Amino acid sequence: MPITTEFDYHRPKDLKEALKLVWEGKGKARLLAGGTDLIVWLKEGVASPEAVVDLKGVPELRKLEFKDHVLTVGALTTFTELIESEVVRSRFPLLWESSRTVASLGVRNRATLMGNIASAVPSLDGAPALLLHEARVTAHGKAGRRTIPMRAWFTGPKKCALLEDEIASEIAIPLPEDKHAGCYVKLGRYRGEDLAQVGVGVMALEGARYRVAFCAVGPVPARAESIEALLKGKKLSDGLLKKAKSLVREEIRPITDIRASKEYREHMAEVMLERGLLAAVSRLEGRGPAYGTEQI
Amino acid sequence: MPRTTAKNGKKTAQPALPVGRHGLKLSLPPDADSAPKGAKAASREGLRSVGKSSQRVDGWEKVSGVAQFVDDIEFGPGLLYAALVESPHAHARILRVDTKAAEAVAGVVRVLTGKDFPFKFGLYMKDRYVFAQDRVRFVGEQVAAVVAWDAKTALRAARLVKVDYEELPPILDPMTALEDGADLIHPELGDYPHVPWFFPKAKTNVAHWRKTRKGDAAKGFKDADVVLEDTYTVPRYAHCAIEVHGAVGLYDNSGRLTVWTASQSPFTQRNLFAEALSPLGLTHKDVRVVTPYIGGGFGGKAGVSMEILGAAIAAKVQGHPVKVLWSRAQEFVNTYQRQGVVAKIKLGAKKDGTITALEHKLYWDAGAYVEYGANVVNAAGLSASGPYRVDNLHIDSVCVYTNLPPGGPYRGFGYSEFMFGLESHVTRMAQKLKMDPVEFRRKNAIKEGDILPYGAAMNPTGIQEAIDKVAAEIEWGRAVPSKDARKAVGKSLVLFWKSPAMPPNASSSAFLKFNEDASLNILVSGMELGQGLLTAMAQVASEILSVPVSKIRVETPDTDRNPYEWQTVGSHVTWGCGNAVLKAAVDAREQIFDLVERSLHLDRASLYLEDSAVKSRNKPGWSLPLKSFVIAGIQVEDHTYKGGPIMGRGVFMPEFSSAISDPETGQGGHPNVHYTTGAAGVVVSVDRETGKVRILKATLAVDVGRAINPGLVDQQVIGGLLQGFATALYEDMRFDAKGRIMNANFSDYKIPTALDIPDKTVPIIVEVPQPDGPFGARGVGEHTMIPAAPLIANAVEDAVGARIKSMPVTAEKIALALRKGA
Repeated sequence: MPITTEFDYHRPKDLKEALKLVWEGKGKARLLAGGTDLIVWLKEGVASPEAVVDLKGVPELRKLEFKDHVLTVGALTTFTELIESEVVRSRFPLLWESSRTVASLGVRNRATLMGNIASAVPSLDGAPALLLHEARVTAHGKAGRRTIPMRAWFTGPKKCALLEDEIASEIAIPLPEDKHAGCYVKLGRYRGEDLAQVGVGVMALEGARYRVAFCAVGPVPARAESIEALLKGKKLSDGLLKKAKSLVREEIRPITDIRASKEYREHMAEVMLERGLLAAVSRLEGRGPAYGTEQI
Repeated sequence: MPRTTAKNGKKTAQPALPVGRHGLKLSLPPDADSAPKGAKAASREGLRSVGKSSQRVDGWEKVSGVAQFVDDIEFGPGLLYAALVESPHAHARILRVDTKAAEAVAGVVRVLTGKDFPFKFGLYMKDRYVFAQDRVRFVGEQVAAVVAWDAKTALRAARLVKVDYEELPPILDPMTALEDGADLIHPELGDYPHVPWFFPKAKTNVAHWRKTRKGDAAKGFKDADVVLEDTYTVPRYAHCAIEVHGAVGLYDNSGRLTVWTASQSPFTQRNLFAEALSPLGLTHKDVRVVTPYIGGGFGGKAGVSMEILGAAIAAKVQGHPVKVLWSRAQEFVNTYQRQGVVAKIKLGAKKDGTITALEHKLYWDAGAYVEYGANVVNAAGLSASGPYRVDNLHIDSVCVYTNLPPGGPYRGFGYSEFMFGLESHVTRMAQKLKMDPVEFRRKNAIKEGDILPYGAAMNPTGIQEAIDKVAAEIEWGRAVPSKDARKAVGKSLVLFWKSPAMPPNASSSAFLKFNEDASLNILVSGMELGQGLLTAMAQVASEILSVPVSKIRVETPDTDRNPYEWQTVGSHVTWGCGNAVLKAAVDAREQIFDLVERSLHLDRASLYLEDSAVKSRNKPGWSLPLKSFVIAGIQVEDHTYKGGPIMGRGVFMPEFSSAISDPETGQGGHPNVHYTTGAAGVVVSVDRETGKVRILKATLAVDVGRAINPGLVDQQVIGGLLQGFATALYEDMRFDAKGRIMNANFSDYKIPTALDIPDKTVPIIVEVPQPDGPFGARGVGEHTMIPAAPLIANAVEDAVGARIKSMPVTAEKIALALRKGA
């Protein structure tokens, strides 16, 4: 099926040129990295930009490095690159585990983590790990360079904090100083590729501290602060898990759509929170289950 | 049932032939079942090719990527592209179509509308139009087409065609369409031509009503100790063949119309194209349909759906090939969909487990046009007893027009749909009777000679053997504790049956041509859908003529070159086309023996074929290679030649079949040629909290009569079950309140991936020969999908106690049912 809309195609050589093109586009330019969203929108006529700025030739955006306890993921880094990275595999297993659940192999070979969070759909699998690691996005715009914390990144369904004149160049993902383990649990309709109907990310840190984030059950992916506060300093027990589960419905605002009902999403968010917490703690204590193992 | 066997070259017992009772005749050739003495590498029962898992004849081409599909064929720079203007409304009157703006676009060749083709077409009922005329009946229906020099221009210009509609209230479910005073979707229904076995009700939305009445249902229910009634619902499903539909038409300047299609039915297409376009002066001889390999069909590429556009549009742009290729979204909307059904079942049984009566009412959501789908309804109406002996039977199978996309054939042809309810219900009845559900099935399963719903007798069946083997494979009766406390393991065993649904005169034919090197070209129009037909046909000919499969070429059809085949549907081609090939091979063999007898004066009865040569039982050591004479002939004493090219011809038509019966009872005809039966079982693990189902083991035993190629049968079992499990667990077409499909994509219409295959699938082949099948074979293609849905529903209940009565049996339904119950 051909793309029927007409647009100018640009392939800038560096970030400066890319930014100039974005500014000239005055909001009518779209950025292309992996293209797994944009090309589909172009084909379906959902997007009809006047210009497409292909970032694949911008060297500043091509980065994947671990330095001073921070993983820097350039905007052109694909999910496959993350999954195949030894550093990600060994030091950021939560990011590794959630990246493996994104779409299918073919899509992961092209799709970027930055594109994933820039599309800002509520179901994005990339969000919980970034929220739990308290990652930061670097953006470049007319006003210069700024850093946006993940907590402030998602501003609404399909909306993020990136301004029209900005290009997001990289994501900085800090490694917690304390010993920790994580778990990402995703609900799909089958075992093949699917958009999350519920996503739950959990990080358990030494000293009985917990971080919890949900996606696909509200307008934006978000941390569940009341649950984190409840769990803080406590060892997991049946009673505590029950209490944590009882807070889930206050933290999430799921909808009924073609993929799942509100009722099932609420039910599963509770089940998945419990399983995610148990798995994360078990991993922290060195008892497995191995990362990548299905929890539901 | 004794088998046809041969040991040491001697014929042993022939199958007990039910000639007369069934009207069937043995079509095994005189020595097809007896291997000559000392036959090298003779396989089981003396067969050398049949019964072996030969490598696919199309395997190399497909694996290496050289196999050509419609969209791969090069048509040169003169190729035009057509884009469709489609209805945004489920039901509306067309007030005006303005094509001016589209026609003005540079690169546009022609814009066509309903006015250009004011004629109907259809397979069993002529209720469809090439383009909508005065009204549209589903979202996505073709209203106009723009033909341009490139696809982009065609798509852009199509958006400029202005159509004014007057919206009408859509009817989106069959129960509403059946209400008194419901708006009529086809006010002219009473005038539509249709086959004589359809019974449309003019001035209603009922396109066909198949009634089957046997015995006395009221008395049967009175005699029952337990009566169980319930309703089951099945949504619509999409075939999702990996290759979308496509057609390229060329009406050349000599007046010849050639259409290249992705199709299961080239000859049916030729017939319908010629009929529909006859007002333009076309006759059958002028129309040629070429079907290269297709990337899956599953019934969706049967008959004629979008391909009419390729033919019709081509007729208006003479001299240029024109391509119509569906997008994935169009593939979902405007081909055929599996029809939804509401099934109301009432079953009566005695305490000892004897079924006394069954009332089965099926209300089909057949969609906007039923030219093919009404026959699905008919097939279900003839067989909704399932594979059981039911003396008192009352079936109503009602084909109802709705403003949803046209329904039609999909692997199982109505049986997958009604067996969900029936086999769910049978298990529940066994529970009510406090009887083992497998024992209950064993007791009531149909046997050879039992009277079928329409009055004829049942063909030989290995269903009891299938039940025993499946029960053993899943260790029926042995409870399996779950290793994970959150999960429970459940099992189920269900039965299935299906007959080909075809007109009584549906026929197959074959040509078989020898080449100089004694290789063979076989021409058939049975279609290779991935099921392995070409390979099976080569094996049948190989068996008779002793030519190895590797020296036989069988290709996909071209109606100019290949002889007639009705359609490749209904799991009938191994049987029907196989019989034609067998006859063609026997015809060639008899020509060979005739020639050898008259030119070399050998005793004809002593002749046999082995290793691509003629041999004689009277002259050990003598051998005449086929390649020495099958083209050149045999030179005799006076130096002249006898013979000439050996060409076989075979035609098969089931001459015992008839579709005419009493419309009020369905009694009196013989509409179905035979039933293939079997049993299937699963072991599943169900998560009590999430509702997720994992299939630990699936097994299916099918009585194929004779497996021409056991490896291909195994693959049918593995693939068919997987396709069925997907419909049972997560596939589901959804429409909004305006009749627009909400999931015409793979983001939200889920078909299984490699990750979703059961942990283990065990195919089991049962062989109780079909007396009129080639080497005893009967069909198997669709049957492997049919039991999947009730298998899941019953096993889930066995595991966790939740009974789901609407397909699909999703994790969500299970989890919420358990949460509610907890």
